[in-house]
Amino acid sequence: MKKVVALLLFVVAILASCSKEVLDEVAPADLNDADRLVLDVQDFPFANLSEYGFFKGRMADHRPVPGVLPFAPITPLFTDYAHKKRFVWMPAGVSATYSGDHNVLNFPDGTVLIKTFYYDHVLPADEQRIIETRLLFKRNGGWEFANYVWNAEQTEATFDMTGSYTPITWTDDNGAQRTINYRIPALAECQTCHKDMGLSVPIGPKPQNLNGPFNYGDERTYAPAAKNQLQKWAEMGYLQRNFPKNIVTTVRWDDPTVDLNTRVRAYVDMNCAHCHRENSHCDYRPMRFAFHETTDPANLGICVPPDDPLLPQHTFIVARGTIGRSLLHYRLSATDEAVRMPLLGRTIVHDEGLELITEWINSLSPPCE
Amino acid sequence: MERSVLLFLSAFTGLCSFAQNTCSTALPIAPGGTYTVLAVDGTQATPANCTGSGGDATHAEWYVFTATVDTTIRISTDYPGASTDTRIQVYTGGCGALTCYDGDDDSGAIYNYASIATFYVYAGTIYHVAFDDYWTDAGFQFTVSEYDAPPPPPDLISFTALDVPVDGNVLACLDMNGDHRDDIVGTSATNVNIFHQLSGGTFQSVNIVTEEAENVASWSIAAGDIDGNHHNDLLYGGGQGATFMMATDDGTGFVKVNFEEYIFCQRTNMVDINNDGHLDAFSCHDVDANVSFLNDGSGNLTFGQGMLGTTCGNYGSIWTDYDNDGDMDMFVAKCGCDPVDILMRNNGDGTFTDVAAELGFADGHQSWSSAWGDYDNDEDMDVLVGSSASGYHKLMRNNGDGTFTDITAGSGIDLFTGESNEWTTHDFDNNGYLDIFGGGGMLMNQGDLTFLVDETIPYNGPIGDLDDDGYLDVLNASTIHFNNSTGNNWLKVALEGTWSNTNGIGARITVMSASGPHIREVRSGDGFRYMSSLNAHFGLGTDPAVLQVEVRWPSGTVDVIADVDINSTLVVVEGQFNGVAEHAAPALTIFPVPATDRLTVSGAHAPNSAVRVFDTTGKLVLQGQLAANTLDVAVLNCGFYVLEVATAKGSVRQAFSKF
Repeated sequence: MKKVVALLLFVVAILASCSKEVLDEVAPADLNDADRLVLDVQDFPFANLSEYGFFKGRMADHRPVPGVLPFAPITPLFTDYAHKKRFVWMPAGVSATYSGDHNVLNFPDGTVLIKTFYYDHVLPADEQRIIETRLLFKRNGGWEFANYVWNAEQTEATFDMTGSYTPITWTDDNGAQRTINYRIPALAECQTCHKDMGLSVPIGPKPQNLNGPFNYGDERTYAPAAKNQLQKWAEMGYLQRNFPKNIVTTVRWDDPTVDLNTRVRAYVDMNCAHCHRENSHCDYRPMRFAFHETTDPANLGICVPPDDPLLPQHTFIVARGTIGRSLLHYRLSATDEAVRMPLLGRTIVHDEGLELITEWINSLSPPCE
Repeated sequence: MERSVLLFLSAFTGLCSFAQNTCSTALPIAPGGTYTVLAVDGTQATPANCTGSGGDATHAEWYVFTATVDTTIRISTDYPGASTDTRIQVYTGGCGALTCYDGDDDSGAIYNYASIATFYVYAGTIYHVAFDDYWTDAGFQFTVSEYDAPPPPPDLISFTALDVPVDGNVLACLDMNGDHRDDIVGTSATNVNIFHQLSGGTFQSVNIVTEEAENVASWSIAAGDIDGNHHNDLLYGGGQGATFMMATDDGTGFVKVNFEEYIFCQRTNMVDINNDGHLDAFSCHDVDANVSFLNDGSGNLTFGQGMLGTTCGNYGSIWTDYDNDGDMDMFVAKCGCDPVDILMRNNGDGTFTDVAAELGFADGHQSWSSAWGDYDNDEDMDVLVGSSASGYHKLMRNNGDGTFTDITAGSGIDLFTGESNEWTTHDFDNNGYLDIFGGGGMLMNQGDLTFLVDETIPYNGPIGDLDDDGYLDVLNASTIHFNNSTGNNWLKVALEGTWSNTNGIGARITVMSASGPHIREVRSGDGFRYMSSLNAHFGLGTDPAVLQVEVRWPSGTVDVIADVDINSTLVVVEGQFNGVAEHAAPALTIFPVPATDRLTVSGAHAPNSAVRVFDTTGKLVLQGQLAANTLDVAVLNCGFYVLEVATAKGSVRQAFSKF
């Protein structure tokens, strides 16, 4: 019986959050929580991740202390099948403001974005292995990176911006064994994706990506407690309440109930748009992959000839109906690092993502001329 | 009734279809005919693809054309209402020995993916025509016509393809075993596969297993003899850094030297950056300052950044002596975050100055490489900065006084819209003038700074002479595109450095023939990604003879060779041809004369300087350090030697004898 009620609540919460309407009657955040984490961004970066105190108990469990709020974008970036946990923290008394559905929230100084990359079922012991925790923090109006590499004992992570590799073998969700040489980025690699006109920026925390449910759970009962993330942020005092009720929102790239084209738009937004938009690493190429820009098929590369086809048969970036002529498909199916896309964060093919792109290109007609 | 007619039709056409299914049952076709293919389900041919577009198909439909007169034939699947993505292969040689003759994938004008093969035929020759199903097995119609006025422009250059089973990423084509024949090099993280060119255009495959490279040759590869052991070392330019594979002294293996520093490698090169006589290495960095690897003279490399381009967006570096002052300058084609190209003038003292703005190169051109060569044979380096994304190309003529003039307008290049990451220059038709390779075409230099475009060519890849016929061939992965002779004359020059690096990288070679001078530089790394031959190749048109060859070595040595056979490979050993050191070196005195077991050296160097001793063949016979200006040479046999002493301003050399 209890289970049924919990389930029902969960469904209701999801339905509510899917309405795209942010409710006003949210409870005010308790900014005076005595347990709330206090940090001074001027002291950053610390030598060890534990010094921040983001998590209580065993650090590897990532149980956030008050003020450290988990979040997730509706469609995540693919990074070699790594699992991720993301958190945001802000100092007391400040909050982010809305500045457009598809723009990163305007965060206050002192904000810390925390993202941990890990794998489950890592061999030989079939255990969890956390590899790195990346921080983006805002100081004096600008964003800075601090990357922490976890030790083998999973007890501590130490500051390292030079870049390194972690070889890893694990059993994936389909029961297949995979091996990669996981790349932990150097500072300049972070900036390759996280930049706008040369300045460092976050990518994920945009209203279009956050305007969906997150299961915050109940600390005591472990009951699911899904809630719209923007609403939750507002409750926490992390977001000013004057954001609009109707936000143009992305979809889950793997949601079978959503039409193929919208799923592809969500996928390329999160995986490709950080480089293929104005003022970014590859803005000299014609594609514009951001969700709000791909309502124009030309911005997806549909029937657009590539600058350099790599191979003569790639007559278009996306050739309607023909994956063999689509440079986009060729790059997503490549592992040669000079051919593959996305440029960084991927060394193996995202099989399910490639399936999505294949299905989509095959569904398009008539052929490009 | 209707049904029975349909049945009858399908039975009839089914027979037709069956008859086309193999080469030996190919249906005859003739000009004026229109033919219907219901489905592509016959037997595939070998070689499977003569078009250069796409891979191998699985099925084909076969036709045969027997020419009765010399004429031009056009086979076309392009017609109003066409909707099938076809591909045509044309063979000679008969079914037992099919040889690619022509082919087409996408020349359709009415329907983009339709194919139009237009080819010259000779009376009495049989041409087999195959339509394959690489794109689709759906049916289509095609027409055969004798192609009348206007005649198609003749291919300015033609190639014949041959597949070779090279393992790994095939990015390099250069001599790896000192026989001056270009070899094919494929690399992977743990293997170097060398296809050594033997005489007669055959190859011998050698696999060398290596330690696992942290960085593979994905973004680029460069080659040269860093450690002076007469075997070429490789530099793998990867997306996260650089790994060197240093050839062992016996040439049968490689020792890995990895650099931990993060580099988003783009173009890599080997060149003597600081004029100290030792071959250094260089890598463009996409997202940070460019990287140099300076050689201490013993093959030990030191990572460095700064001076050689300090902002991001570095894609295509090329080292060239644009101002004819004897040292190598560097141009970087740039793109992305800081697209303003740089031209770093070598000041000769180990420093560089960016002169791009004053010489008209500092534009945001969005280029990944540039092609430096003497396009008008006036003994200075001109350049095409080819577009990757900006939509325009820029041909700059070197005025010979350190300035350049933009001569793109009217050159033919202004009308060429092809773009690519690769832009290189070689004389592909051996007419004596450097051509340009990029943008999906070859821009054939007509000798008057105008260019005609031939787009029926391979795509960009490593370049070398893989059948030793004096015509430069192109590698596309593991397919060799052999350059078919135009009948023009040629000369190849292979260098063997003694004081300079083994391959003479950085040397300037001038060949004089009746039509005037032709110059080349020996470069490790041109274009964006590939490593091409280290032999200098010269087309000489109809000039009947080579009048003189001059080699100006990086060391300053100048060799002048008068008696050279045309259509041959000339090997020049540094100093062999009465080499004259033109650059006055600081005085270096060695005594006693002749030397005994210990010699004493005086000069403007530190008394504990690093030294090397070479024999008269240029072989390194002794390496070490002076001790209070003395060197123990007891181990040397009696004979003539050259002593090289490292100084702060470069190395100095002096011959000595020992008895």
